[in-house]
Amino acid sequence: MSFLSKFKSGTLPSVAANPTPAKAGSRPPLTTPLERRLGDVSGPARTDGSDKFFGIENYGSTWYVALWQDETSVKSLLRRKASRAKLTKPVNSYCSSIIQCLYYSTPFREHVLNFPSKEVIEILAADSPDGIPSEPRAISAVPYPNITSPARKEAPVTSPTPGMPRPEDAKDSPDNKKKQVIKTGPVLKMVADRSNTYYMDESLFTNLRDIFEAIISQSSRTGVVSPHRFLEILRRENEAFRSAMHQDAHEFLNLLLNEVMDNVEAFSKQHPNLALPQANGTVAKTNGVRNRLDTHWVHDLFEGLLTSETRCLTCENTSQRDEVFLDLSVDLAAHTSVTSCLRKFSEEEMLCERNKFHCDNCGGLQEAEKRMKIKRLPRILALHLKRFKYTEDLQRLHKLFHKVVYPFYLRLFNTTDDAQDADRLYELYSVVVHIGGGPYHGHYVSIVKTQDRGWLLFDDELVEPVDKSYVLSFFGGEPVPSAQDAKQLACAYVLFYQETTLEAMLKEQEMEGQQAPPLAARSSDAEAAAQASYALTIAKNGLHQTHTANIPGHEEMDHMETLAHAVTAPAIPSPPAAPMANPISIPFAPVKSKKEIKAEEKAAKAQQKADQKALEQKRRDMSARRIEAWKKQDEELKRVMEESKLTATEESMRRGDEQTLSTSPAAEKGSGFSKFTRASSMSLRGKPKLFSSLKEKTSSTPVAPPPAPSSGMATTPAVDDAAKATALQEDVFEDGEHSEKPGIASDEQTRRFSKHRFSFARKKAGVA
Amino acid sequence: MFVLPPPPRYTNGALYNGLPGGVGLLETTNKLEHPTGPDYQLVVGEGTYVLRDDLLLATPPPHPSDAPQPNNNPLATTVSPPTAGTKLSVVVISPRNPPSHALFRSAVAQGTRNNITHSIQEEVSSPKSDAGSAHYYNQLPAFGDQNPALAPVVTKGNKKDQKAKPKNNMVKSNSSYVSRVIPHENMQKRITERSPQGLFAFANVNRAFMWLDLSSETKTDNMAKVLFTKAHVLAHAVNEHTKSIQHLDLALGFNTSDIIWYEPVTQKYARLNKNGVINQSAVAAIAWLPRKENLFVAAHFDGTLVVYDKEKEDAEFVKEESVEADHANGASKVHFHVLKSVQSRNQKTNPVAVWKVSNLKANNLAFSPDGQLLAIVSEDGCLTILDYINEKVLDVFRSYYGALTCVTWSPDGRYVLTGGQDDLISIWSIAERALVARCVGHDSWVTDIKFDTWRCDERNYRFGSVGEDCRLLLWDFSVGMLGRPKNTSVRHRGSVSSHGPGVGGHQRKESSQSIQQVRTASTLATVDSEGDGSRASEVVHAVDSKSSTAILPPVMSKIADKHPLMWVGFEEHCIITSCIDGHVREWDRPKEGSGDNQTTDGSSLDS
Repeated sequence: MSFLSKFKSGTLPSVAANPTPAKAGSRPPLTTPLERRLGDVSGPARTDGSDKFFGIENYGSTWYVALWQDETSVKSLLRRKASRAKLTKPVNSYCSSIIQCLYYSTPFREHVLNFPSKEVIEILAADSPDGIPSEPRAISAVPYPNITSPARKEAPVTSPTPGMPRPEDAKDSPDNKKKQVIKTGPVLKMVADRSNTYYMDESLFTNLRDIFEAIISQSSRTGVVSPHRFLEILRRENEAFRSAMHQDAHEFLNLLLNEVMDNVEAFSKQHPNLALPQANGTVAKTNGVRNRLDTHWVHDLFEGLLTSETRCLTCENTSQRDEVFLDLSVDLAAHTSVTSCLRKFSEEEMLCERNKFHCDNCGGLQEAEKRMKIKRLPRILALHLKRFKYTEDLQRLHKLFHKVVYPFYLRLFNTTDDAQDADRLYELYSVVVHIGGGPYHGHYVSIVKTQDRGWLLFDDELVEPVDKSYVLSFFGGEPVPSAQDAKQLACAYVLFYQETTLEAMLKEQEMEGQQAPPLAARSSDAEAAAQASYALTIAKNGLHQTHTANIPGHEEMDHMETLAHAVTAPAIPSPPAAPMANPISIPFAPVKSKKEIKAEEKAAKAQQKADQKALEQKRRDMSARRIEAWKKQDEELKRVMEESKLTATEESMRRGDEQTLSTSPAAEKGSGFSKFTRASSMSLRGKPKLFSSLKEKTSSTPVAPPPAPSSGMATTPAVDDAAKATALQEDVFEDGEHSEKPGIASDEQTRRFSKHRFSFARKKAGVA
Repeated sequence: MFVLPPPPRYTNGALYNGLPGGVGLLETTNKLEHPTGPDYQLVVGEGTYVLRDDLLLATPPPHPSDAPQPNNNPLATTVSPPTAGTKLSVVVISPRNPPSHALFRSAVAQGTRNNITHSIQEEVSSPKSDAGSAHYYNQLPAFGDQNPALAPVVTKGNKKDQKAKPKNNMVKSNSSYVSRVIPHENMQKRITERSPQGLFAFANVNRAFMWLDLSSETKTDNMAKVLFTKAHVLAHAVNEHTKSIQHLDLALGFNTSDIIWYEPVTQKYARLNKNGVINQSAVAAIAWLPRKENLFVAAHFDGTLVVYDKEKEDAEFVKEESVEADHANGASKVHFHVLKSVQSRNQKTNPVAVWKVSNLKANNLAFSPDGQLLAIVSEDGCLTILDYINEKVLDVFRSYYGALTCVTWSPDGRYVLTGGQDDLISIWSIAERALVARCVGHDSWVTDIKFDTWRCDERNYRFGSVGEDCRLLLWDFSVGMLGRPKNTSVRHRGSVSSHGPGVGGHQRKESSQSIQQVRTASTLATVDSEGDGSRASEVVHAVDSKSSTAILPPVMSKIADKHPLMWVGFEEHCIITSCIDGHVREWDRPKEGSGDNQTTDGSSLDS
């Protein structure tokens, strides 16, 4: 039995509750939009995971459920109080949306899959007595599947408003679609700790890699990942994410990136011998033992450098300080663009009154001007739109619905003069959307640009293709309840821009033009070519030269199979979860659906052929007509051509005369540009005068400390691995700052402080 | 403090159930307000512009057959048809020519007109010709004048009535496309009694299209209002060449891809591209060909430009790939395909010509003042300068990033301005074929730009722009400064494009060539005389880096409306702005204290 079918055996959970789920007529719809989008693919899935499209299961009660059960839906959502939202169970869409964004960043995905790289694992396997371990080190203690997962729940029977058809009854409601996806499967249950396969201690990173590996090793292109273990670890190690409160996707992004950096560095510290070649990485690469342990890749991708220039108004002395960031948090104003938000971010700011600047030159607190500009541009620019704003009056956060437009392509204006590649072109590749009326409840989804399947919407379990214009429909704007459009509640929250080149942009625009005749059957050859060209652009970008050659070979496939194998066998000896995962009715359900799928495929292929024929016929007709028209016109055309040639020669003769007469308008003017600007210097830029306070680390503390081990790690009650514990201890000792890490994260402020080490937000008066 | 909006009260309750309620039948009226105070003044060097009034055009309720369904899915992926905010087409019946024409003529007479355009103007005669008169224009080459198949249409004269396409009366029409037409009861009286100097405006709001008399004291009363069933007008234009008190030619482009020729005085209309027979995509912009009675060009969402003749019947469009198409496409990067040439002999039916200028949406277009060139901006960030008469691309410039949304020509035809999603206005010199400056000042995407021809002369230019940021910005730049754009001196290191093998080398060569071109007119001459071959190789221009580009700040910036602005226009006595949901604001020009100005103001108000 292949590992595949084993995977599938897990597709139907908790069947005991409803013994005939597959037969009961809840037959999967013939084709989902996603399947249609993927319908033209015949060859095997690529090994780099770029054409795998998996939803992520949501364990909480989704926002939808909350919404639909409310008869007044949109209105009530706008009015909903935080107290009500607390009743809802924890939702992990904040995490799903971010994971999807990261997965579809090609360089990020490849780095995750290659840390440690295959070569390193082999070296470690050779050192260890048992070879490559295949058994999971630990299995989740919490039962799986989670019954509360809304997509698995049966539809509620009662209908609150008898007159109106309930939205979830509609066959194509998101809720129903999600249920279908879970039923169709495959569902990848991530319950086991596979960290020992990578010779790492279990961490968020290893679990993230598990998820990525599991998706890639699947032969199916679609399905659902159930990030059970990942969430368990996240909650175990981060107090803040344990509560039932609604979580912030941006905070999670920041935490995850920091954790990954820490995990990667912790590993390299455990294996200093492996880390060594990194010192001169170029040599290592050429030697063939490429890139044995690149521990800096998260920095390379997301990290940028900000220079803050502070000019003391007393002594005119300018001091500079560089600070790294992983993402930029920008303040919003109504009717602006991200360009403008970034510009404001770097605008000069007065440090005065309560927030004076301590000048080393003249000593003491002085008034000063401060300005932050980007000195080194990140390869992936994560832009956090600060839609959740704290109001002093209400003593709580509220959501800003301001309309903030974002373009598909971006360059940065707020760079320093000496910045490298200051005109770097970025393309939007992913948008995290927050849906909801306030910061304490809501739902996150992400819209992601895939390599060659256009834009996809990832909404928990559900993956749907969307139009390109859909991406730009989450600008926001003050909601008008009477408009009766729930879309008003959805606003872009985090934007991911990745570096690109003008050539890549042109190529893409070219492709878009060719795709315009809808879904013309594409041969696998064409696809391969597209893939090759993509690899080429990537190589040109220098985005990940180190990894383009690293498309996993067969060996690695084998390795992954063993992994999958292990994951699917949720070892029967393991905790109470196991018993319910093995009912009798399971086996044939997926088999059946497989048959159906095959039949569908056949039908689809036949349809395609017919379509092609029709197209071909049409084309022939067209060309025949064209030829006829052409013949008719031919003579006429020739005559006209002759005529025009004649006139052209005449004209060129005349032109020759004229040119001697003409003068350049530019030459005669003498005044310089500076004068010009002065003349029109009645500039207006209503600069906000209110930047006064700037507290916390940005101004008062010295240069940001080197990355420290992550927050919750110090509290390690659940760690069962002695080696890991020691490693952690070492880390903690190394960094004194971290000893003050709170065991109780109830203090929101502290938590934010520690978390935002790398997230740059400009703090202004009244906000902090 | 954030106060959540109050829950709406659905008095009828019917709308919520998806049934057409009583509200759907209510006809709303325009409202006029006169807000005053410093918030409604624009302070510029020459004085203060004061808001005269704010006319809110009524948004029509949805047609009963098209009642909006309440949407409970915030992620609904259904693509709704495109809409556009309110835009205006403004007409003054007399004088027939705006001052821009005077400026343009003087520029030509002085011989300072740029070289490039000279070369295109095949028939531009020596200075002895009377540059200002209609005679001057007659000597210029005109669109389609080399195609005998088009000749009868161009000089149709008496045959007009026989050949003309049959027209329907809009009011009596039983087309399901038009919902209803509401002409003013005294329309004819109003037309005859008003001053011909007064402003007529045509405006689109949602599915309504309104004809307004802005110089009337009762400007809230529409001269006429057309309600379409479902379709929204996205773009409209008045033919300046044929306008008179008895006759106005309007071309309306719809989001359903249909186009309607509309004559508001007699309420006649004709429908073109019906059900997308020629082009299936919505119309983003529309413009009448200069000095043509019947021809106009529509920019469709698929990046195609189609020239229509309002007097011709449509025929299903079959792509005609011609020799010219291949030729023009010789340079790999130029997105320009002649799908049907104006030289095509098949001119019995529409389209007259079809050009594909972009793979993405063509957002806007503008004809040069002399009518020889066409500038097109598109969603892929390209500004294409098209010699539409000869169907050749002269230049392709790129935005700093993002789409370009609007374009306009300077009154003398030397400069083209574009605005776009980079929040910038870019000034391009047609003669130097280069970027002159970028104008920084908008806080969001730019939606429209126009030159203020009343404040432009040979040396100084005034233009205004509006954007998604609700702001109206005014800018000044002068020829003296622009003679030496900062970027030309450092251009060699300024190219932004990455230097991939092959491509980069080519581009570097290209930009170095253009330096020489800018610097010496003689080089330009040689390049020109080399003919089209060399020209094609350097049509596409690299993006200039920000460090090498001159920056121009605005002279005035003001939030001119509560909603994103969509359109701006400069008239003799006012600046007009319109926003996304139907506010039309008129800003009076500063009073110079001279009685002269006052009286003209007064006269225009009389009707």
